[in-house]
Amino acid sequence: MGDDDVLLLHNSHGLPHIAAMMPAYSSPVKVVLVEDKPGVRDSWVKLINSLPGFACANTCASGEEALRLIPTLNPGVVLMDIFLPRMSGIECTARLKLQMPKLQILILTAVEDDELVFKALEAGADGYLLKRTTPESLRAAMLDVLGGGAPMTSEIARRVVESFRRASQQPRPLVHLSTREEQVLVLLSKGYSNKEIASELAIGTETVGSHLKHIYEKMHVRSRAEAVARYVSGNV
Amino acid sequence: MLKVAKRRRLCENVARDAALNLMSPREKHPGLRRSNVCAALAALLMISSAAVCFAPLFAADPPPANTNWLVEATNHLGLWIWDTNTFDKQTCRLWKSFQLPPGAKPLSATLRITVDNGYSLFWDGREIGRGSDWRTVTKYDVTRLLNPGPHQLAVEGFNDRLEAGLMFGLHIEFQNRPDLDLLSDESWFIVPETQKSWTTRQRPAAGWHPAMVIGPIHRHPWEVWPYGLTTGPPLVPLVVHFWQTGWFQLSLLTLLLLAVAGCAWLQAQLSLHARARRLLEDERIRIARDIHDDLGAQLTQLVLLGEVARREQPDKSSAQAQFNQICALARELSHGMDEVVWAVNARRDTLRDFTSYVCKYAQLFLNPTPIRCRLDVESDLPVIAFDLPVRRNLFLAVKEALNNAAKYSGAAELFLRIHRAGERLVVAVEDDGRGFAPSPSGGDRHGLVNMHERLEKIGGTCELFSAPGAGCRVVFTVPLISSESRGWLPWLRQPSTPPKSELER
Repeated sequence: MGDDDVLLLHNSHGLPHIAAMMPAYSSPVKVVLVEDKPGVRDSWVKLINSLPGFACANTCASGEEALRLIPTLNPGVVLMDIFLPRMSGIECTARLKLQMPKLQILILTAVEDDELVFKALEAGADGYLLKRTTPESLRAAMLDVLGGGAPMTSEIARRVVESFRRASQQPRPLVHLSTREEQVLVLLSKGYSNKEIASELAIGTETVGSHLKHIYEKMHVRSRAEAVARYVSGNV
Repeated sequence: MLKVAKRRRLCENVARDAALNLMSPREKHPGLRRSNVCAALAALLMISSAAVCFAPLFAADPPPANTNWLVEATNHLGLWIWDTNTFDKQTCRLWKSFQLPPGAKPLSATLRITVDNGYSLFWDGREIGRGSDWRTVTKYDVTRLLNPGPHQLAVEGFNDRLEAGLMFGLHIEFQNRPDLDLLSDESWFIVPETQKSWTTRQRPAAGWHPAMVIGPIHRHPWEVWPYGLTTGPPLVPLVVHFWQTGWFQLSLLTLLLLAVAGCAWLQAQLSLHARARRLLEDERIRIARDIHDDLGAQLTQLVLLGEVARREQPDKSSAQAQFNQICALARELSHGMDEVVWAVNARRDTLRDFTSYVCKYAQLFLNPTPIRCRLDVESDLPVIAFDLPVRRNLFLAVKEALNNAAKYSGAAELFLRIHRAGERLVVAVEDDGRGFAPSPSGGDRHGLVNMHERLEKIGGTCELFSAPGAGCRVVFTVPLISSESRGWLPWLRQPSTPPKSELER
């Protein structure tokens, strides 16, 4: 088995491209880490600080602390552990996104669990990473979301397509995917890389990334709208 | 008692009628001598006193136009009988048995009865009638109850006040012999109140004593009697159907109890089975959780520590190279462990999880190779059960096929197709590589024997289509309902779903 992270994250942007977008003199991107285990947390901090262009501004040991601290810190990227004591990383993500819609949140998970990842994405996460990922892939993923892209695996893509198709069969679908967005998702679910999708659809790789970003946003919007609908109809 | 007053009034009426009858000839013949009148008056006195004495012998009220009913009511009646002592609010049980003479062919049988004041009448233990008005004789047609053999007549009489008595008569006409009359007389028995099931008793028991004869019909105080005749409802023998018989009901009950016991036993077996299965699943989940929690978390930490340590070494140093190796190894270990956890975890026993896992695996596996991995997966695959042996063997077979493609095909593109075909799952691995000519005796270059064996184990099939220059296509087909059929208890097939955090934390 090789380096799985390359495949998990279909980078919509090449690294040099993003690096070029970031002026050399600008201050490093502020990263906040939410992780409850102290040993793991320290290692992450060291790793993040070793990545060029990134600095770990702060760490939070719980979701509650993250909700208190992060709005005051206004970081560029939040790395969120999915399993936290009490409030889960998914719930914390949802609450943070409600306060700060522009905040980029990447979910860190020890196991690949499509259902959990899907839930995290619905909660507003901008992507997810395996904890055993290489620092290079972590940097690539962070640059990707900062550049307006969104990493997505073919598994997730298939689930997203299915969920939107199912939702559109309901009497009053709240959110639709555009034809192009669906095309991107279908190709992604068939195993195409972002670059291949771009050439297949004759669009730029950045455009593929931004399509994915929009799809994430729609998922988030839909899940929130559904939550509201459930609340209104009293089916909570 | 009413009848005493009534009796007096009736006697007066009778006397007056008699006097009038005597007087009328005198009126008709006014020329009668005066002395005769005196004699007549004396006679009248005599007659009237005689009338009082003999009143019971005459019809009390003006006789009805048709007196047949009276004849019928009284012709075949016996004597008034009762217990030796009489008291108010008395219940008296009277009993008699009789046997139909052998060879007798009864034409008709009529039973007449009355009791002062009321009665319940039993024929062979079956209650066939009741009465509460002593002045009315009730007639029952018992012809159809008269089957050959012994019969028991039983009357439970009730006295309200003062005098009491039973008058009874059973008149049987035969085809081949003289009529028979069974009347109330001293041959009846008085049954003590302590006697149980006396109405069906064949013989009198010790302690039963003969009934006492009070007197004949029209005896005081029943001089003017009866007032009427009623006919009871027609009596037919009770038909006892086989399902009404005791033995049948008993067997049915036994059968039911057996069935209930059998059901309970089966239920217990099923719940034991389900419990064992649940325990096994719980255990698998626990093992998966333990591996994941203990080893997985530490491996992740190892990777992180290795990465940090690597960065602290000078670039291109041998220490850094070794740390690189450690990190790579730890990642591989972590990945391998994920596979174990996936295989062991009962929560992943679904078709959907299998599909998702195989697709991920294929993509990861082919990523370092020049082969592009394409997925063609049926959308909305259901979350149906896909048991561990099936998914494990199928996964290993697919792995083998992928391995072959990576090693020998030289393909540019590989399709992994997962679809359902009825009750079967079809997984195809297709490449556009150089292909080969499959030969039955060509050895096991492509691990075909292995794949066949794996699929056989789980009741599936493995087919290979290839030709030189035309790529290769391996098709695996497995049944979606596992061979150990638990189909009739579908809820047992549902993989248990403990809370997620249980596994993950």
